[in-house]
Amino acid sequence: MSQRVAYVHLPRFPVQRRVLDEPGLAAQPLALVHETKGVLRISFASGTAQRDGIRAGMTLTSARALLPALRDGLYDAAAETQALSSLAEGFLRFAPAFMLSAPDGLWLDASAASLFGGEAGLVDKVEAQARAAGYRARVVLASELFTARALARFGAATRACVALGDSGRALAALPLQALEDAPEVVASLRALGLSTLGELSALQPTQVISRLGAQGLRAQRLVRGQDEARLLPAVLPEVVEEVRTLEAPAESLEPLLFALKAALDRLSARLRGRQRAAVRLTLTLVLEPAGPYPVPLVLARPTTDPKLLLDLVRHRLESVRLDAPVATLVLTVDESCEDHGQQGVLGDAPAGDAALETVLARLATALGPEALGSPVLADDHRPEAAHAPGPFRPPRREPGMFAEARRSPPVPPPPPDWQLERPVRLLPGEGEPIEVELDALGALRTARVLGKRRKVLAVAGPERLGGQWWTETPFQRDYYRVHLDGLGPAWVYRRAGEDGFYLHGLFD
Amino acid sequence: MTAAARADSAVLERLRERIRTLQAAPRQLLSVLRTGLPPVDGLLPGGGFPLGQVVELWGEPSSGRTRLAFRAIAEAHRALRLAAWVDGPGMLYAPALPPLGVQLEQLLVVRPPESKQLAWSALQLLRSGAFVAVGLDLTRSGVRLSPPESRRLVEAASRSGGLLLLLTPPEAPADGTLRLHVSAAGPRAMRLEVVRSRQGGASRTVEVPWDLLTPGGPSDVGAGSHGLDAPPLPVPPSTPFRRARACTRDGLIGIQGQRPGRDLSLPSFAQALGVGS
Repeated sequence: MSQRVAYVHLPRFPVQRRVLDEPGLAAQPLALVHETKGVLRISFASGTAQRDGIRAGMTLTSARALLPALRDGLYDAAAETQALSSLAEGFLRFAPAFMLSAPDGLWLDASAASLFGGEAGLVDKVEAQARAAGYRARVVLASELFTARALARFGAATRACVALGDSGRALAALPLQALEDAPEVVASLRALGLSTLGELSALQPTQVISRLGAQGLRAQRLVRGQDEARLLPAVLPEVVEEVRTLEAPAESLEPLLFALKAALDRLSARLRGRQRAAVRLTLTLVLEPAGPYPVPLVLARPTTDPKLLLDLVRHRLESVRLDAPVATLVLTVDESCEDHGQQGVLGDAPAGDAALETVLARLATALGPEALGSPVLADDHRPEAAHAPGPFRPPRREPGMFAEARRSPPVPPPPPDWQLERPVRLLPGEGEPIEVELDALGALRTARVLGKRRKVLAVAGPERLGGQWWTETPFQRDYYRVHLDGLGPAWVYRRAGEDGFYLHGLFD
Repeated sequence: MTAAARADSAVLERLRERIRTLQAAPRQLLSVLRTGLPPVDGLLPGGGFPLGQVVELWGEPSSGRTRLAFRAIAEAHRALRLAAWVDGPGMLYAPALPPLGVQLEQLLVVRPPESKQLAWSALQLLRSGAFVAVGLDLTRSGVRLSPPESRRLVEAASRSGGLLLLLTPPEAPADGTLRLHVSAAGPRAMRLEVVRSRQGGASRTVEVPWDLLTPGGPSDVGAGSHGLDAPPLPVPPSTPFRRARACTRDGLIGIQGQRPGRDLSLPSFAQALGVGS
């Protein structure tokens, strides 16, 4: 079965990325340079710089002579490939796999296009996602890797789908320059007076092989749409991490937050691509010269929402005092889980859900994740062990119209009888020992509770709770509900075989 | 325009109107949270705890304040809304809540590690607008709200339209918009007094039998108990203590619905303690 692939071409990706990180560079002549044999040469030039004659391969000195206002920056090939890979991970929402074509493009496996409105729909969605991330992109979907890439890089359309078997015709109008991997063949063909791929395609294979050899024949097969190369899925890094080195060390929150916003956008896109949601993150601020300063970020509920994450980070950083400026920031996802997404509902305010997520994240970060939760009942006779904190996962609200139609909420099952006699406040652990006074018949007269000796007005009980006899710590207690003067009912118990009384709860 | 197109247009308009109504509905559903206790709701101006205000339940830690607050929270849960409880003393006992009508999965319990974070937590919860009712329990926490903190809480409640139920101890009253003094009135009832109210009704008092606080809960003045001021009730022989409702086995109770020790009424302390025998 023939494959279908989409090529995403991001013209001058490293320059676009630099401008995204530093919006002040937009519309300014910019060149990224690398060092070769002690000479700085231009790797990429922005459109503005190119209009002034700056070309890749020029030395920085000659470029400066041509354009004194030229801004420059170092080109780090490894970092750019990493950034491209991060961007590609975001496209995994639409494609099961990708293959990089560094430094400025990537192929996507388009086999899942039917899920996104067909091939045209997939192309639109991929282009829209790139645009949302701040990049200009050209996307072409075809059956061969070469066809998709050549049309995306050298074709006229910014978005296109090439039907199966139509590749040769689609490629015919492209210039020979599209055969980027075979510069010798291109030079020979130019010498022969050819200028388009269509002209190469029209030659007899015997003529091609006699003049250009095996390389020429391979090039002809490519331009005839007979490329048999397959997409090799890239292996995703295990740790989702975004690193951002600031242009100048940040001494205030504002530039830091700006950089964080971009990093969180990328991180969220990557997580969404992997269909994962962040549970725990670490923001490491690399201070100059103090070194790394980790800031743990705990989320109350898994999320991929960059806005929520930024709000959480902002809140967290407000309480952090740094001794040195921040040179680099590293965002690492320490723990993630499967992302089930959130369903927008009609009638209910989506803003409410966001508000809930925000406040939960804020509280979890400030107080610690163990400080908030929803109580869960435990199957245990020992009162202090009969409940435990659990995660707060309120039931998903039904879409508004259905919720409206279903006016009456589900009737909960009746609580078991024993719950009816439980106090709403329980003292920690096994409670506090209390002093009691008994009359001649052994009835309770007074008890010292909450710092005062109080008259006992009435007693009800006992309820005998016992268990764990098979363990080292068996228990047997007789519980009484005791009405005390000036207070409401209190829950008091006495251990089997002991005379002392303990206050364990208050029916507040 | 054809008749069919006109009909479609009318249907669309009706649908739009319906959507507008539905979207506007949630805020209009609730204006007060009722406790479901006629004497209490009758006492409160508006028939319940008013949303958008700070209601202070001021009294001893065993006066019924918490159950009263959770009865209002249960009303919020019945309307499919969320509620939060900032548990200052860390004493909230979850097994007692379902009988009050509270849905535990719709209740967020916050236990800040430091007492100075209590008011801040409640403020965040209120400001979020995600919770229709927020409880702030300052009992035994040693915290007394400062006037600016109180102002911020009142403002947050007013802006978000949520209800803040503020539980304060006798020695540290706060600055609630509506303050109710809750106290025990003997073994039979609790007493509520409106101490402060902007909507009138101040100094009104009502007594609520303890039995009413937990629906279906035990009667403290019925069989199996006695008031020491009253003549002692005859202690019945060891008759099985059963409830009218059928019990299902859940591993906690016996096959006849009894729990260990529950079949006995008040035992003789004299016998148990070896006094006077």
